[in-house]
Amino acid sequence: MMRLSRSFRGKIFVSLSVLILLTFNAFAGIFDGGDAAKGESLFKANCASCHKVTDEVLAAPGLQGIDSRWKGKDALLVKWIQNPQAAAASGDPYIKELVAKYVPTFGWMQNQAVSEAEIKDILAYVKTPPVTGPVAAAATNKCMTLEEIKKEKEKNEESDGAVWFIIIGGILAIIAVTAANISRSLKNAINEREGLAPLPETTYGKALKSWMWENKKFVSVIGLFLFCYFAVVGYSSLMDIGVYDGYTPDQPIWFSHAIHNCQNEIDCQYCHSSAAKSKHAGIPSANVCMNCHKGINKGAITGEVEIAKIYDAIGFDVTTKTYKADYQEKPIQWNKVNNLPDHVYFNHSAHVTVGKIDCKNCHGPQQMYTVGHVPTADEINSQEDVVGLVKLERRPFTMGWCLECHNKKEIDLNSSAYYQEMHERFKASAVGQRTLRDIMEDGSATVRELGGWECGKCHY
Amino acid sequence: MGSNKKYWSSIDELQNTTAAQEALGSEFTRSGEQSVEAFLSDSKLNESNTGRRDFLKFMGFGLTAATLAACETPVVKIIPYVTKPEEITPGIANFYASTYYDGTDYGNLLVKTREGRPTFIKGNKNFGIAGGGLNSRMNASVLGLYDSARLKGPKKGSADIDWSGLDTEMKAALASAASIRIVSNTVISPSTQRAINELSAKYAGKVNHVQYDAVSYAGLAKANGGAVPFYDFSKAKTIVSIAADFLGSWVMPAAFTSQYAQTRKPENGWLSKHYQFESNMSLTGSNSDHRTPIRPSQEGLVAAALYSAITGGTPVSVEGADTSIKRAADDLKANAGASLVVAGSNDPQIQTIVAAINSVLGNVGVTVDTSNSLNLFKGQDDQMSKLVDEMNNGSVDVLIVYGTNPAYSWIEGDKFVAGLQKVKTSVCFNLFADETGSRCTYMAPDNHYLESWNDYSPVKGRTDLAQPTISPLYNTRYAQESMLRWADNGATYYDYIRQTHNGAYSATMMKTDSSWNTAVHNGTFAGTVTEVAAPVETQAAPVMMQAAPLNVNDAINYVSSIKGGEWELSLYQKVTMGAGNHANNPMLHETPDPITKVTWDNYVTMSPADMKEMGLETYIGQCDCASLVKVTVGDKSLVLPAYPTPGQKSRTIGIALGYGRGAGNEEIGKAAYQTGREGVHLMDGDKRQTIGKNAFPLASISNGVINYTVSSVGVAQEAGTYAIATTQMHSTVMGRDSVVKETTISTFLKEKDKKKGEASYNKAVTLPVHADVNKDGSIDVNDRQHINEVDLWREHPVEGVGHRWGLTIDLTSCFGCGACITACHTENNVPVVGKDEVLRHRDMHWLRIDRYSSSAQDTLKETKEANNVGTIEAYRLMESPEDNPQTVHMPMMCQHCNHAPCETVCPVAATVHSNEGLNNMAYNRCIGTRYCANNCPYKVRRFNWFNYVTNDKFAMVNPAQDDQLRWVLNPDVTVRTRGVMEKCSMCQQRIQAGKTEAKRNGTIVLDGNIQTACAEACPTNAIVFGDLNDKTSMNTKRSESVRSYHALEEVGIKPNIFYMTKVRNIEESEA
Repeated sequence: MMRLSRSFRGKIFVSLSVLILLTFNAFAGIFDGGDAAKGESLFKANCASCHKVTDEVLAAPGLQGIDSRWKGKDALLVKWIQNPQAAAASGDPYIKELVAKYVPTFGWMQNQAVSEAEIKDILAYVKTPPVTGPVAAAATNKCMTLEEIKKEKEKNEESDGAVWFIIIGGILAIIAVTAANISRSLKNAINEREGLAPLPETTYGKALKSWMWENKKFVSVIGLFLFCYFAVVGYSSLMDIGVYDGYTPDQPIWFSHAIHNCQNEIDCQYCHSSAAKSKHAGIPSANVCMNCHKGINKGAITGEVEIAKIYDAIGFDVTTKTYKADYQEKPIQWNKVNNLPDHVYFNHSAHVTVGKIDCKNCHGPQQMYTVGHVPTADEINSQEDVVGLVKLERRPFTMGWCLECHNKKEIDLNSSAYYQEMHERFKASAVGQRTLRDIMEDGSATVRELGGWECGKCHY
Repeated sequence: MGSNKKYWSSIDELQNTTAAQEALGSEFTRSGEQSVEAFLSDSKLNESNTGRRDFLKFMGFGLTAATLAACETPVVKIIPYVTKPEEITPGIANFYASTYYDGTDYGNLLVKTREGRPTFIKGNKNFGIAGGGLNSRMNASVLGLYDSARLKGPKKGSADIDWSGLDTEMKAALASAASIRIVSNTVISPSTQRAINELSAKYAGKVNHVQYDAVSYAGLAKANGGAVPFYDFSKAKTIVSIAADFLGSWVMPAAFTSQYAQTRKPENGWLSKHYQFESNMSLTGSNSDHRTPIRPSQEGLVAAALYSAITGGTPVSVEGADTSIKRAADDLKANAGASLVVAGSNDPQIQTIVAAINSVLGNVGVTVDTSNSLNLFKGQDDQMSKLVDEMNNGSVDVLIVYGTNPAYSWIEGDKFVAGLQKVKTSVCFNLFADETGSRCTYMAPDNHYLESWNDYSPVKGRTDLAQPTISPLYNTRYAQESMLRWADNGATYYDYIRQTHNGAYSATMMKTDSSWNTAVHNGTFAGTVTEVAAPVETQAAPVMMQAAPLNVNDAINYVSSIKGGEWELSLYQKVTMGAGNHANNPMLHETPDPITKVTWDNYVTMSPADMKEMGLETYIGQCDCASLVKVTVGDKSLVLPAYPTPGQKSRTIGIALGYGRGAGNEEIGKAAYQTGREGVHLMDGDKRQTIGKNAFPLASISNGVINYTVSSVGVAQEAGTYAIATTQMHSTVMGRDSVVKETTISTFLKEKDKKKGEASYNKAVTLPVHADVNKDGSIDVNDRQHINEVDLWREHPVEGVGHRWGLTIDLTSCFGCGACITACHTENNVPVVGKDEVLRHRDMHWLRIDRYSSSAQDTLKETKEANNVGTIEAYRLMESPEDNPQTVHMPMMCQHCNHAPCETVCPVAATVHSNEGLNNMAYNRCIGTRYCANNCPYKVRRFNWFNYVTNDKFAMVNPAQDDQLRWVLNPDVTVRTRGVMEKCSMCQQRIQAGKTEAKRNGTIVLDGNIQTACAEACPTNAIVFGDLNDKTSMNTKRSESVRSYHALEEVGIKPNIFYMTKVRNIEESEA
C-alpha cells in the first residue's frame, strides 16, 4: 500500500488542486459546492411535491438542466425561489416565459422559506441526484407501472369469491336433495312393481337421520374431520380478532400511494406531517392536497373524477382556479386503516423522530400499494430498501409485535443528551444491582431494557 | 407531641361507636348488597314465568351472540380537517391565556385545548394576579361550556326567535320606554362598561345601571372609601381574621391562598401567626394557629376589643375570647406595619373598626393597599333594593339583566320575581333559562366565557384579556354586542375591545399590532401596550360612596349594642359551590367540602354538643341519616339536615349559600337536581327536587348593606330524616401515629440542622433485627435497623436508576382547598358517580384530602394514668375535642410504593411496578378481584362498580354520559369500564409526553417541565412533582429535608410520595 506509483501521486496532486479550485469557485456560483445530501432532504421536504429532478412536469416544471437555464442569474434565482412574484417584477424575459407557460395552469409557487445556503444544497442535489447504492436504484425501478396500478384497481373492485362459494354450495345442496328425492321415487316405483309396501312417509330430517344411522362409519369420519376443521378455523379466526394485517378498506377517494409516494417521490411526511412531532401521523387535510392539486386536476388513471372530490370538499372552482367564497366545506371521511385499540397509547414522534424508525418498518412497502393497506409480516420483512429494518415475526399491529421490536431494537445511547444522562445514572447505580448488571452486560441497551416492556408505557 | 397525639377523622371514630368500628373493618361496605332472603321474599318473583331452562338458553344465546357481535371488524372513520388551522397539530395540546370572572371568582387562566376543544384549565402562573392560583370552582368551570342545558339561541318566552327579530322588538320596546334599568353584577370590563354607557347615551335620561353582587362586600367597600382594598397576606407576620374565610371564599381566595402560603414556609425561619375568631369552622379557621370560637354577634366586639387593646382605649370585654384577643393584640403590636386584620362581616361599622386597626398599626400601604383597590365587588345593595321597589311599583318599563341571577341570589328573590312580572319588557343575557331568565320576556343568551373575547380590570392599573378557545357552540351572541345593536352600533365586540384600548384601531391593523398580540398571549397588558384607555367610569356616581366616612368611636358604640339571641346563624360560602353559579357542575358537587367532607348537599352545621342536647343524630353514615332541623328567621324558615361540625361555636349554626338552585324546576342542567337510587331525578310533586335549599332569603338588609349573620334564629327538630353522603368515614387512621406528623416552629428551628430521621418530631422508624447491628457482641433489643433496610423482597431497582418520579407534599402549606381534586378529575377522566354511590362509599376520587381533627390534649398514656382507665375508655375520656380542634389537611393519593402491597396480591399482574418508580395499573388486564384495594394501607384504590359511561343510573351526573359534555374528556387517558380497579397514575400521560418531548429535543428532562395535574393546580406549591433521581430537583431537596417522612413508614413499603411535617406557629405547651 505504501508503494504508490509516481503517476498516482501526481493524480492526487492534480485532484487536490482541482478540489481547492472548486472550493474557491463555490463562493462564486450558486450551482457549485452545495451539500447534495442535505439538499436531498430539503428537496424532499419542500420541493418534491411539485418539482421533479427530471424534465418531467409534475405540478411545476422539472428541474433538470436548471443550471444551464439560469446561468449567470444566481441572485435572481434565489429571489425567484424565495419570492417568485417579486422576482417576476424584475422583468427578466426567461421568468416571463415561465410565468406565461405555467402560472395559468398551476398558479404561483408559494414563497419558500429557504436560505441561500440551503438553495445551494438543493441545487447540488438537483444537478446530480445521488444514488445511494444499488438498493435505492432498485427501489425507483420497483415502482408499479400505470398498467399495474390500473390492474390493481380493477382487482380491488371485483367482488370476492365468497359469493361464488355460497352459490355453488346452494346448487350442490339442491342437487343433493333432488337426487335423494329421485332415488326415493325410484325405490318406491321398484317396490310398487315388485309388490312390496311403499316406503313409509317421512320427513327430510328423519330421512337424513336414518341415512346417517345406516352410514355410521362414514358419518363419524366426516364428522370428526368437520369438527377438527371448524376447531382450527374457529381458533384462527378468534385469533384474528383485532388483527388487521392485510386490511385494505375502500376509501371515499381512490388515492394511490404508488403514484404519489413511489412515482412522484413525495416524502411520507410531506402529507403525514405530524408524525414527526405528535402522537398522530395525521391524515393530510384537503388544503395540503391542494398544494399540488391546485395545478393538477387530472390523474393518470382516474382522470378528473377522483381529484374533483378534493375540490368538492374544499370548494375549489377548477375552471376559474379560485376558491369559492363562503363555501360550506365538506370534510372527507376516510376509512381508518391502521387501527389501534383505544386503550393503547402510541406516539409516532417517539418512533419517527426519537427512534429514527423508517415508516416502512411498520407500514411496509406502502409505495407499492394503492389505497392504504395494513402490511403483513412478510410484506414488511421482504423489503430490501429499508435501512436498519427490524424484521419481526409476529403479526403487525399486535401487542406481541410491538414487544418483539422493543426487545430487539437497540437504543443509540449517544443520540441525545437524554439517553446519555440515563446511561450515566444507570452506570452509577449498576454496582451491586444484579438486574442492572444483567442489562449492562452486553454493552447495549434495548428499548425493553430501558422500560419498553412496562405496562404503563403504553396503557393508561 | 405529634408522635403520640390521637387523630380522629370523625366524632364517632373518636367515641368508638359500634358503627364506627364496623366501618373501620371493611374497605367496601357490604350494605349495598341484597341478602338471599330478601331476594327470595320479593313478591314479584313468582309472577315471573321464565323457566330455568329458558333462562339458561337465553343466557347461552346471549353469550354466543355477544361473542359473535364482538368479532366483527368495525369500520372506523378518520376525518381530517379540510383546511387545517396552522397552529393545530392533531394530538398536541395548545394553551391559551384567558380570564375567568363570574361576579364571585376572578382568575387568570391557561386553557388547554385539544384539536380546538377546551379540556383543562390551569392557572396562569407567569402573568396571573398574585401568582395566578385558581380555586376548584374555576378549574372545574370548563364543564359549564359543554352543558347541554345551555340555551341554544334567543328566545321569546318559551318560543324561539331569531336575533334580528329580537333586535327589532327590543329596539321598539326601548324606544317607547320611559325608564330603562340595567341590573348586573359588578362590571369590571372597560369595554362592557363602554357598551352599557353607549346604550345609556342612546336612551339618555331613561337608563339607570344597578350593580349588585350575589355575595355583597358593600360594607367592606364603604368602610374603605368606596372600594375593597387589595390585601397582601404575603407581607403579614401576624394575621387576625374575624370570621373572614380568606382561604375559602372571602374576596379573592385563590390569590390570598398563594400569598398566605408564602408566610407558611418554615424553612424561611419564620411563620406568620394567624388568629381566627369565628363561629363556623371555616377552611381558614382550620388552618389558623389560634382559633377562637365566637358568636356572630360578637364579631364587632372582637374588633372593638382589638382596637382598644392596641390603642390603649377603654378595654372591651368579649365573653370567652379575652385571652385570645390579648395575645392577638400583643402580636399585632409587635408586628406593627407587617400585620393584617381582616373581617368577614359585611357590616360597615365593623369594617370601619378593622380599617382603623390596620391604619393604627401602619399596615396601610404594606398589607392593605387602598390606592390600588379592587374594581371587583362594587355592588350597591341599597340601589338594588330600590330597584326591586321600583319594579314592584310598576315604574320600570324595560329591565336588562346581565351576568346575574337576582331571582335566585337577591335576598328578596320572591319580591324581585313579583316585580319582574310588572316590568313591560325584560331581557336576560344568562346562558341558561334560569330562575331569572325563564321569567323574562326575552332571553338573549351570551357566549360562554371560553367562547368570548373580553377585557377585565380587576384592580386599578391592571387589565387582563379573555380570548375565545372555541367557536360558540350554539346560536349565542355577546351580551355586549346585543347592547350595541340596540344602541345602533354594528361593531363586533372584538373590534370594540380593540377600540377601547387603542382609539386608532381599525380592523385592518389587527395583524400588525404586535403589542396587542403580546397582551393576548400573556392574558394581560404588561407594559408594552401603551394604548390602554383609561377605565371608563360609571355614569352616575354611586350614592353610597358619597356618604361621609364612618367614625370609629361611633362604630365601637354601635357594635357594643349588638345583642345576640339564643341561637345565632352565620351564612357562609362553601369552597365548592360559592354563590351557586356552578350549581349544575357535577364535579364540584362531588368534591367534598374541605371541613365536613360532605358531597352533594347543604346542611346546617351545628356543634355536636348542641346536637346531642337536642337529641339529633350525630353519627351520619350510609344507614344513619341526619336529623332534620327547622331554622326560622322572622317569617322565613328552612328545613335542612343537621351536620355535626367540630369547632362550631355552641348555640350557633351555619348554612351555606349557593344551594337550592332551580327551585322552580328551571332548565339549569340535569346535575343541579337530586338524583335517586335508579338515576332518575327525585320529584317534589311535578318539580325536580333541588340540591339543598336557598339560604339567601335568610340574609337581611340593614344600614343599606346585606348582613349575612342573623342574631336571632329559631332552631327546632323537624320530623323525618335525610341521607347525607360523606366521604369521611372510609378514610380512618386507626390510631396510627405515623400518618400525620407535626411540630411547632420553635422545635423546628431548634432542630433545623439535624439530619433527616433525627428530629424529635420525625424520628426514623427502626426495627429490631436478629443481627448484631451495633457490634456490641450480643444480639438484643438495641440492634435495630432502619425500616428501609429491612426487605422481604428483592428490591425494585429505581433508586438512582433512570427516573424515579415522586411527589413531596408539604402539610404546612396545604390548606385543603381542593383545587387539586378537581384538576385531577378533569385531567384523568375520573367518573362522577352521584350522591347515592358516594353514600355507599363508592366514590371514585383518585385524590382525596383527608381532614384529621386532633384534640390538643394529653397523650393517651397520660390520660390512662390520670383516669386509671383502659385504652378505649381513655380515648373516650380525652377532653371534649368538639369544642375547638386543631386540623390537618392531608392530600392522599396512590403512594406509588416501591414495595407495593397491591402488586404482590394481584393474581393477573395487572398492577406492576415500573422502573421509574410508578405503580402502573393496566386496566385491560384487571379482572376485578379487588385484592389490591384490600391490601392497600392507604385505601386509595377505586373500583369501577358500574360502567359509568353507559349505565342509566349515572345519566344525570356523569359528564361522559352527555353527548356534548363528553367533549371535556381528556383524549390521552382511557375511560375505564366496569369491573376494573383504578387509581392515581401520577399523571402517567404527562410523564410520557414530557419524556418524549425531551427525547425529541435531545435534552434531559428539566426539573419542572413535567407537572402532574395536582401539582400544577396547587396555588401554594404544597404539592411538588419531580424526578427523585435528579439530585438537583426541587423534589429531591424537599424529600431529603428534615421534615419529610412517609405516611405509614413503619409498614416498610417505601412510597415515592413524601410528606413534610406540619409546622404550627404555636407554643410547645399548646401542641
